[in-house]
Amino acid sequence: MLDDTETVLTLTDLCIEFPTPRGLVQAVKDLNLSIARGRRVGFIGESGSGKTTTALSVMQMLAKPGRVSGGQIDLGGTDVLAQGEEEMRRLRLSRVAYIPQGAMNSLNPIMRIEPQLWDAILAHEPGVSRPDLKARSDAALVSVGLPVHAGRLYPHELSGGMKQRVCIALGIILTPELIIADEPTSALDVVTQRQVMQTLKEIQEKIGSGLILIGHDMGLMAQSVDELAVLKDGELVEHGSVAQIITAPEHPYTRDLISSVPVVGGASFLNPERRAEAPKRDSSEPLLRFEGVSKVYGDVTALRPLSFTLEGEVPQIISIVGQSGSGKSTMGSIMLGFNPPTTGRVLFEGQDLATMSAAASLDFRKNVQAVFQDPYACFNPFYRVNHALKFPFKRFGLSEGEAHTQKAMEEACVAVGLDPDLVLTRYPHQLSGGQRQRLIVARALMLSPKLLIADEPVSMVDASLRATILANIYDLKDKHGISILYITHDLATAYHVSDYVMVLYKGQVVEAGPPKSVIGDPQHPYTQLLIASIPWPDLNRPWGEGGAEDPGVQEAPTIHRGDVAGFDLVKG
Amino acid sequence: MAETLQTPTRAEKRQARRLRRFDNPWLNPKLIWGVALLLGILLLGLIGRMLWNLDLVFTGSATLKLPPVGFENLRKQEGVWDFPLGTDGSGRDMLALIIIGAPNSLFVGLLASLIGMSTGIVLGFTAGFVGGRTDDVIRVLSDVMITIPPLLILVVFQASFGDVSLTMMALLIAGFVWQSPTRLIRAQVLSMKQSGYVQMARLSGASTGHIMFREMMPNLVPYLFGSFIANVTTSIVTAVGLEVLGLGPQRIPTLGRTIYEAINAGALIQNLWWWWGIPTLLLAVMFVGLLLINLGLDEVSNPRLRKLS
Repeated sequence: MLDDTETVLTLTDLCIEFPTPRGLVQAVKDLNLSIARGRRVGFIGESGSGKTTTALSVMQMLAKPGRVSGGQIDLGGTDVLAQGEEEMRRLRLSRVAYIPQGAMNSLNPIMRIEPQLWDAILAHEPGVSRPDLKARSDAALVSVGLPVHAGRLYPHELSGGMKQRVCIALGIILTPELIIADEPTSALDVVTQRQVMQTLKEIQEKIGSGLILIGHDMGLMAQSVDELAVLKDGELVEHGSVAQIITAPEHPYTRDLISSVPVVGGASFLNPERRAEAPKRDSSEPLLRFEGVSKVYGDVTALRPLSFTLEGEVPQIISIVGQSGSGKSTMGSIMLGFNPPTTGRVLFEGQDLATMSAAASLDFRKNVQAVFQDPYACFNPFYRVNHALKFPFKRFGLSEGEAHTQKAMEEACVAVGLDPDLVLTRYPHQLSGGQRQRLIVARALMLSPKLLIADEPVSMVDASLRATILANIYDLKDKHGISILYITHDLATAYHVSDYVMVLYKGQVVEAGPPKSVIGDPQHPYTQLLIASIPWPDLNRPWGEGGAEDPGVQEAPTIHRGDVAGFDLVKG
Repeated sequence: MAETLQTPTRAEKRQARRLRRFDNPWLNPKLIWGVALLLGILLLGLIGRMLWNLDLVFTGSATLKLPPVGFENLRKQEGVWDFPLGTDGSGRDMLALIIIGAPNSLFVGLLASLIGMSTGIVLGFTAGFVGGRTDDVIRVLSDVMITIPPLLILVVFQASFGDVSLTMMALLIAGFVWQSPTRLIRAQVLSMKQSGYVQMARLSGASTGHIMFREMMPNLVPYLFGSFIANVTTSIVTAVGLEVLGLGPQRIPTLGRTIYEAINAGALIQNLWWWWGIPTLLLAVMFVGLLLINLGLDEVSNPRLRKLS
């Protein structure tokens, strides 16, 4: 075999630029890096930092009109930039493979898995016989932990994790020297993420290729790679072994990246000292009450009957934690009245959402607001962003004239750390995801509802901004006395922000109680699995081991871990 | 170096122009050219009506088959300035024919498309919003209508109606151009209903009317414009098609009817190219204008395309 110190990829003074109407944008500036055979290198940085651009340039797959404007790319002795279109085609996959971000969209939906693998082989080695093809595709599928019969299935018959495994199989089927994995697990939940990363690491060790892992999650990086390259605005700001970077980061940006990962039990990024009084309420009824609420879609039970009461006398943050498909978002849309429950009633201040009068309904809308997951979709692309703030303010009769509205908007922007002059008159596409999500928080602040439903508010925002936005949301409770239902898959943030946590699994609450008990010391096997699956930026913490879901998980009864005043989950 | 800073290079000038265009998207060259071409046809109609003697559209008001000025016909007759574009086989002045005919063809197209579009907007929004049975009925109806070749039905209709007016013809054509806007709007409404900003608007207590017309409609504008212009083109093609078959209005000069008469009188064999050529050219100008407007509007209404322009 080849010697360990041999380099598979050397980037020398690599510069990449994109001409735009506003002038040249330097996407990557003077990047120098080499990757040794068998090493795993993580590219970490925010979106727009040039990490994917760098990786794509290695395969000459830059999106037009981007181009390499200087430097060299050497792939195991081949000068990549000197290769023509046809040579490059032969190079791709056989020597450098790319595992894309959205495995969902990377497979041909009308072809079975097997022929897609065969196509990859035949494109590089024409004339391979059918039994050979079959043997090789079976071997590839087995090596990524899929059963052989998966090859006869269509992509839609596989789960997200399985599709991502197929993409890995496709990537390694020709045993390339270098694998580029572009956020391969970003669409997967933590439990599946751990399994897929394990598979990727195993297979990479087996074939001994180099691996570039692109991502923005410091925890995942710490657990998966040997070396880390930190990119910021197209520049390599720090490069070294994982241990060195995690324990002694030199660049302030790297330090920010590490500290922005919330850790269970670690120092809080919030300031929990201040407490605001809940706004005076006219009603003596509890703020929100679920009475045996359940939701069934056809054969699927999204939510099993659930009853709880949120008093709302003292502002509280109630977290609802679970994987995708656990029913947590269904719960959110039921609370907002977007989705009628199959059984049971939802009462807001004693009034049933289903039988509300028009006036009561408008009042309910004013008092129950939401922050959604996707900050890109929340603004109407036709209007300037202030439309989203101005319209509800006027609609709910809070405005006392144009000047008052303007002042309220500006104050709300300042409160979430945005410069109102810079953002308010922009169009949505001119703002970053983080800015937009903060504006949505500012909108909630302006309307000062009694209850805010935050459905995965930070899952689509860059890691470095998550803490800030969560702090903004936390301030809503803290300074403005708004009760919050925080729906998330991220246990670490739930640990810090919430007063009470409910862990949801397949529509059922499996463990509930104060976060210090539920997340700090989980008792239910499912909660334990979730917590063990979080990748921490801590090298001493084992992450690699641990398998799939235990079949016994669902049978285990709900564990109640204590109560919090003001919130009452009916035990049943 | 210092010199290049003072006098902008060509690349820099182009850059500045691009930026101006980005800031004011309506300065789109395609749009301007397209509008100019169509306005040209309208102006031809308007100014022509003021300056030219329109009685010349009547049969026999001039010598037969005169060529345009500067050409000679097969009888060695020279074109004269009294009839600058020549005359047709029954002595009608071509210029007068065009002055009346070209705006007529455009009018039929615009009217048919306007009616079709309005129907499409109403049906599309209804289907997308109400859903259920209503949606099924509208969808099946428009799907069935799309499969029927309009010319076939229209030929039968027109033949049984005998002589029709321009408005009547526009109405008949409108019956065949409402399906695609209906489907398009229905699909857009369905996907927009799920979008984040419509959810936000609902959270903001917006009424259904507000969601339809203030949140969704502006985002439909590019589709509506595109669909409208495409429909104008289709309607004109259909109208001209019927006219060329001799099924259009019998008494009103249109471009299609002129071509029909030219073909009927054997203008192709007799080398009377101006008779059929000039109306064809005008139709081509109309279509190019419409196409340019469509492309231009696309860039205006889509900021992403605009950035690249």
